Amino acid sequence: MENKPIILIVEDEKGISNFISAILTSNDYSVIKCTKGSEAVSMTASYCPELILLDLGLPDIDGIEVLRSIREWSDVPVIVVTARNNEAEKVEAFDLGADDYITKPFGTMELLARIRTAIRHKQNNSYNPLQTDKIKIGGLVIDAVKRNISLDEKVIHLTPIEYKILLLLAKNAGRVLTLDFICKEIWGPYTNEQNALRVNMANIRRKIEENPAEPKYILTEVGVGYRMVEGI
Amino acid sequence: MRNKKRYQDIEELLAAGIDVYTTVNVQHIESLNDVVESITKIPVRETVPDYIFEQAELVKLIDIAPEELLRRFEQGKIYRPERATAAMQNFFSKENLRLLREITLSKVTDRISFENQNEYKSTEKTINQRFLVCIGPSPSSAKCIRWTARTAEAFHAPWTVLYIETPQSAEFTEEQNKRIRDHLDLAARLDAQIVTLSGYHVAETIAEYAKLSGITNIVIGKTRRKKSLKALFETDLEDKLIQLSNVEVYIIPDQDSVKPYKPRIPLISPINIVFSWKDTYKTVGSLIAATLISLLFQKLGIGDQNNIMVYILSVLIISRVTTGYAYGIIASVLSVLTFNFFFVKPYYTFTAIQAGYPVTFLIMLLVALLTSAMMVRIKAQAKLAVTREHRTEALYELNKKLLVTRGLENITQLTNNYIATLYERSVIFYSEDPINGNTGVIKKASSEKDVSFLCSDDEQAVAHWVFVNKKRAGAGTDTLMGAGAYYMPILSQGNVLGVLGISCFGRVKLNHDNRAFLRMIASLVAMALERQRLSDEQRQIMVETEKESMRSNLLRAISHDLRTPLTAISGASSAILENKKTMDEQTHDKLVNDIKEDSQWLIRMVENLLSVTRINEAATNVAKAPQAVEEVVAESVARVRSKFEGCNIKVKVPDELLLVPMDATLIEQVIINLLENAIKHSETGSPIELIVKKYGDGAIFEIIDNGVGIPVQELPTIFDGFSPGKTKSSDSSRGMGIGLSICRSIIKAHNGKIEAKNKTGGGAVFRFVLPLDGKVINGK
Repeated sequence: MENKPIILIVEDEKGISNFISAILTSNDYSVIKCTKGSEAVSMTASYCPELILLDLGLPDIDGIEVLRSIREWSDVPVIVVTARNNEAEKVEAFDLGADDYITKPFGTMELLARIRTAIRHKQNNSYNPLQTDKIKIGGLVIDAVKRNISLDEKVIHLTPIEYKILLLLAKNAGRVLTLDFICKEIWGPYTNEQNALRVNMANIRRKIEENPAEPKYILTEVGVGYRMVEGI
Repeated sequence: MRNKKRYQDIEELLAAGIDVYTTVNVQHIESLNDVVESITKIPVRETVPDYIFEQAELVKLIDIAPEELLRRFEQGKIYRPERATAAMQNFFSKENLRLLREITLSKVTDRISFENQNEYKSTEKTINQRFLVCIGPSPSSAKCIRWTARTAEAFHAPWTVLYIETPQSAEFTEEQNKRIRDHLDLAARLDAQIVTLSGYHVAETIAEYAKLSGITNIVIGKTRRKKSLKALFETDLEDKLIQLSNVEVYIIPDQDSVKPYKPRIPLISPINIVFSWKDTYKTVGSLIAATLISLLFQKLGIGDQNNIMVYILSVLIISRVTTGYAYGIIASVLSVLTFNFFFVKPYYTFTAIQAGYPVTFLIMLLVALLTSAMMVRIKAQAKLAVTREHRTEALYELNKKLLVTRGLENITQLTNNYIATLYERSVIFYSEDPINGNTGVIKKASSEKDVSFLCSDDEQAVAHWVFVNKKRAGAGTDTLMGAGAYYMPILSQGNVLGVLGISCFGRVKLNHDNRAFLRMIASLVAMALERQRLSDEQRQIMVETEKESMRSNLLRAISHDLRTPLTAISGASSAILENKKTMDEQTHDKLVNDIKEDSQWLIRMVENLLSVTRINEAATNVAKAPQAVEEVVAESVARVRSKFEGCNIKVKVPDELLLVPMDATLIEQVIINLLENAIKHSETGSPIELIVKKYGDGAIFEIIDNGVGIPVQELPTIFDGFSPGKTKSSDSSRGMGIGLSICRSIIKAHNGKIEAKNKTGGGAVFRFVLPLDGKVINGK
């Protein structure tokens, strides 16, 4: 038996879990399904899945609570699936340790990309805590040792803060970093520099993007945070 | 202490819906108070108003023979032994108990017979009898009030207590004023209607009032006075009343006359003699002037009689320009003396030889005295009239202002300013119960330094009590009298619309007059508040109706719009399932594609609907946070791109970062809707521009396409999407109208503006503006 990665789908809507499992199975994942929050916790413990797709609206307990109790003992990647267009809830999920989120309705490709990113990051974090010195995304190259950045072979000048932000995003390429998280990483705890972050981000974009209104490298998740693309 | 008397606690308990069982001794009933006193010779201070007794649903008589009661006393079953002996010696003598028992039995009999009558009669008090009791500062007035209360009760007739303010009222001593206040309070406790009038002629005023209000019986108190010179000239009050009207007059004798008190209308009250240099100069000056003029007359040979006239004129002038009687009288005497001294032979002596002169002097003195008294009276009346005028003027002024004032805040402000300037006291106005966390609006009077006490918890508790109990409380009342301010409710049809607090902290308490005037102000304010409430309610209803009609229109429009794609999806999927074998791959793919397209359309539709609920949830306004325009634009464009492949969108944002307060999800929805609209109405691949600019204090978003443009007749109503007037089937536009209408709602909720127009050379421009500071945008 080949060792396919196991994905746990926690979803009470049969239609949705059916189509997700169809997509995942045909993409070489092994799938287990459950419909209740309480089951999700026990199945996580018994199957040790590679990744959990967690719907926030569950019949018994709130998905947020499921996430909280799983995070008490496991750091398995969790992608939150939410139908609600509610930024506060997404931010809460991130604060509780969700790795990513995806809003219903979502496309097949998008879902698969997110799953791949989450699993890879998990492996990176657990096996290569020290990341590569050079990060390359499209034409953007970040040299963490020399602390310089180039775009299409041209050197880009960033302020120290801008550099820190870009490096943080690049290290977590493909993942959403919440505004709060970035602020804490850059400015330290107990501050709220969200506007400063927006200004810095606008400056970074003007330096690395062709058109800041159509960014290629750093995408905005409005109301939640920023995400650096993994590749172009 | 919360309430001064226990019966007030009972009222509060009843108001809170709690049944109360209580006992009362007959000697404590207010209207029987003086009867009990006259029998037992012991005044009972603690009394319960009659209405408490009358309100009782059931009265149970606890009757016991005096002998048995005394036995229980001796056995120590009522008081502790030492108190029992004292009580038995004083109040509870066998004789007293027997009389008290009689009063009790008759009181209960009265009640029962009244109840029996009520079984077949209406509960309305009989209108054919109305009692009026006139009161003054005399202690006997209390007796009159109680007598009238008892009698009116026996006749089941309404009764009124009338107090007439005369010019002399201003000269009452503090004790007399206090007695009047006590009398009015007593009347209020006994549930009388209280009327205060001002007038000079007491009898005439009473008669006039009695005629106007249909009074049938007048009750007055009468003190036996010593016969005096003045009494000879004056008709008694009761005689005047009999002359003036044909109502029955009851006279209650004043037995307390052993204690002398000042006659009601003193000729010269001692307080009147006020020495002032100014008035003295005026008096002396006028007299000297009169003397000089008379000397001139004498030189010119004009007769003596004219000199007398000149002196009388000077007395008249003196009475006019000085305060009180004193100077007028002194001037009368002086003028007689000077006249005698200068103009009566022998000159320059105070003797008069010529016969008849003493008579002249006497007449001159009397004329001078009378004119001076009359002058003073006229002045006093004029002053009263001015005060009254001023008061009426003030009320009229307030009413006029209240009529044109709109908005609770303005009404509050106006009332506060008004009272604060009128009374020189700080005012607090609660439009809602402070228990709900509302703080009142305070107006500080210029004479008071610190008014922070008005906001303290204790004071708020008093205001809360007033809200709940709909009665006045605080300083100068019987309830929560420890408060620093006097609180009165603003009542309208039994509802408390607000509470006014008037500071009495470190000041004299408000007198009865002030309170009556405040009540008038309160009724005006109540009307204004009521009017405001009604108009608010009406507006609220209008807003609700508009919302409701928008919702129902939306529902009608979307239920139609949703049916079409759903039919297509369900048809296509069942076609695939049922014809699996016979269907060729091309048809199969086409059907599946249709399903996908239709469901994506449905998704967009639902997202729009979610935006609507998002606006409705946030009752009045949307939750706004500063957002970078370019980020919001970028995300919207990215989402549109992923849905419509092959679209050609060009985006331009300003070089500097533009932060605009907004609900990002909603604005994103607007941009997406407008971009989709542009794509739908232009050829595939034709360029669509999205331009963001900063303009003044607003951010302008423009979506420009090169498509067919907007039909001119649709321009004015393009954002009305699902307006009821629209007859065109929504099939053709497939819900885009809803999208635009939602755009407008969202922009409106952001205090922004949205417009659509046609570009010269084809294509449409949709433009919306968001304010940078969140305030309403004016102009373009």
